[in-house]
Amino acid sequence: MTSLAASILALQRVSRRLDGRAVVRELNLELRRGEVLGLLGVNGAGKTTTLRMVAGVLAPNSGRVLLGGEDLYERPELARRRIGYLPETPPLHAELTAEEYLRFCARLRGLARRAVAPAVARVIERCELGDVRRRPMTALSKGFRQRVGLAQAILHEPELIVLDEPASGLDPVQAIKLREIVRSLGHEHAVVLSTHVLPDVVACCDRVAILHRGELRHAGDLHADERALRLRVARRLHPVDWLALPAVAGAEAIDGVHWRVRLQPGAQISDLAAAVVERGFGLEELRLDGNSLEATFLAIAATASAEAA
Amino acid sequence: MSTTALIARHEWRRLAVQPFAWALAAIVVALVAWQFLLSLQGFLELAPKLGGIKDAPGVTDLVAIPLLRSVSNLLGLVVPLITMRAFAAERRAQTLSLLLASGVGNLRIVLGKYFGALGFVLALIVLIALMPLSLGLGTPLDLGRLGACIIGLALFAAALTAIGIVCSAWASQPALAAAAALAISSLLAVVDAGARLQGISNAGINYLALPTHLEPFFRGLVASVDIVYFVLIVVVALALATRHLDVLRGRPD
Repeated sequence: MTSLAASILALQRVSRRLDGRAVVRELNLELRRGEVLGLLGVNGAGKTTTLRMVAGVLAPNSGRVLLGGEDLYERPELARRRIGYLPETPPLHAELTAEEYLRFCARLRGLARRAVAPAVARVIERCELGDVRRRPMTALSKGFRQRVGLAQAILHEPELIVLDEPASGLDPVQAIKLREIVRSLGHEHAVVLSTHVLPDVVACCDRVAILHRGELRHAGDLHADERALRLRVARRLHPVDWLALPAVAGAEAIDGVHWRVRLQPGAQISDLAAAVVERGFGLEELRLDGNSLEATFLAIAATASAEAA
Repeated sequence: MSTTALIARHEWRRLAVQPFAWALAAIVVALVAWQFLLSLQGFLELAPKLGGIKDAPGVTDLVAIPLLRSVSNLLGLVVPLITMRAFAAERRAQTLSLLLASGVGNLRIVLGKYFGALGFVLALIVLIALMPLSLGLGTPLDLGRLGACIIGLALFAAALTAIGIVCSAWASQPALAAAAALAISSLLAVVDAGARLQGISNAGINYLALPTHLEPFFRGLVASVDIVYFVLIVVVALALATRHLDVLRGRPD
């Protein structure tokens, strides 16, 4: 119970059938404040149904969804102030302006009248909506509509933020900005997001859960000390050159200039970057390597395909 | 402000920024105004002949009440067009999750949608009622009968709006919701037609019919049995709409 009380969100043996088909089966998940959980899965894996249950929109057939230790479907009013939800299609009342819509959302989420204007101003700034705040939402691009959708999900400062494919349809620049926002939200809130895009998970998430056909097939951490990094350097190096760096636990050459490097437990990416520069390796690129996650994801998909065959 | 009032005001605002609602209101007011002027002209031509008749019908009987009676027929067509978007358009645009995820109970959501649409319909009735009431500036009116008519129209509109809301909750397309609301209200209008043809006017089937309960208001009678009938329709329709939202959420019984 102590663990449950510490969790903002806990799913206990949650199952849901839709149109006679089991879409989510016996799902167990937990999420604590300050964590970003990435929900991965191919189409039809049950991600959206899971998020709808977490958001209070769709009741499970069996099992419990606990928010701060209380059953969300016994006390649905908990969702009002404590959950923010961005569905795959942002629920915008397009005939209104972004500002009008956000004011309504703030009141709907129970903000006091005097708290509405500061909350709306804060999310407009955070989601960079200042230029379009008074424009009817029918005239907004997909990226801005997505940002308005995100703004309505966070404007009441909920403990839990639920994002269903938040980067869907965004151009690369918008997707990067969205990642930054999600990452920053993860410092203060608990965030659960679903996506098809593995780099989004690597960039934003602390933990990952992979669903396949409604079942949880993998759940694990993506902490910095377990992350692999991919670097491009100008100099020709040997593995021993990398192992000489105190932050490095292992190094593997991809080609002459690209390396996959694993960090020592507790080492920071900035420690590695500083050491590489100091040794004059000629650092040209450094990024998180999503290949290990990709391999897990593909292995699960392949196993499931084999089972189906 | 309660969440019901908040949602109702928001619905009103959404209707107010749509050209469709204003165009519909303008067409209705123009049609009624035209009919009002024709009736008034007919009355002015007839008035000299009525002078010598004892207890002759006045402007209330010959202009105001027929006008409001014809408005009741018009409402049967107009109200489904106003209510059709309430839930069906939200489901089609996948925006209903905003309300469903807000932690606001289903009954409050339904009541908010209902009062938002009803507010628009009642505003239309008030606008229309000003036409016959304006005759009071030049001639005495039977304000008691006119008041009863307006109360009857408001109750009738409240029942039609509730029927429209439940149809919008059931249907996935606004046009389908409007057609279903029109079909149900038409059925309630003619459900006792067969019985009436056979001269039966006090059977159970007559109680079900909308005109049975609307007509007394046009005669100036405000009876609790008629008020209860309209209130019952509203309660049943809104309960069914709420129940349907429960089903959409998949809440176990």
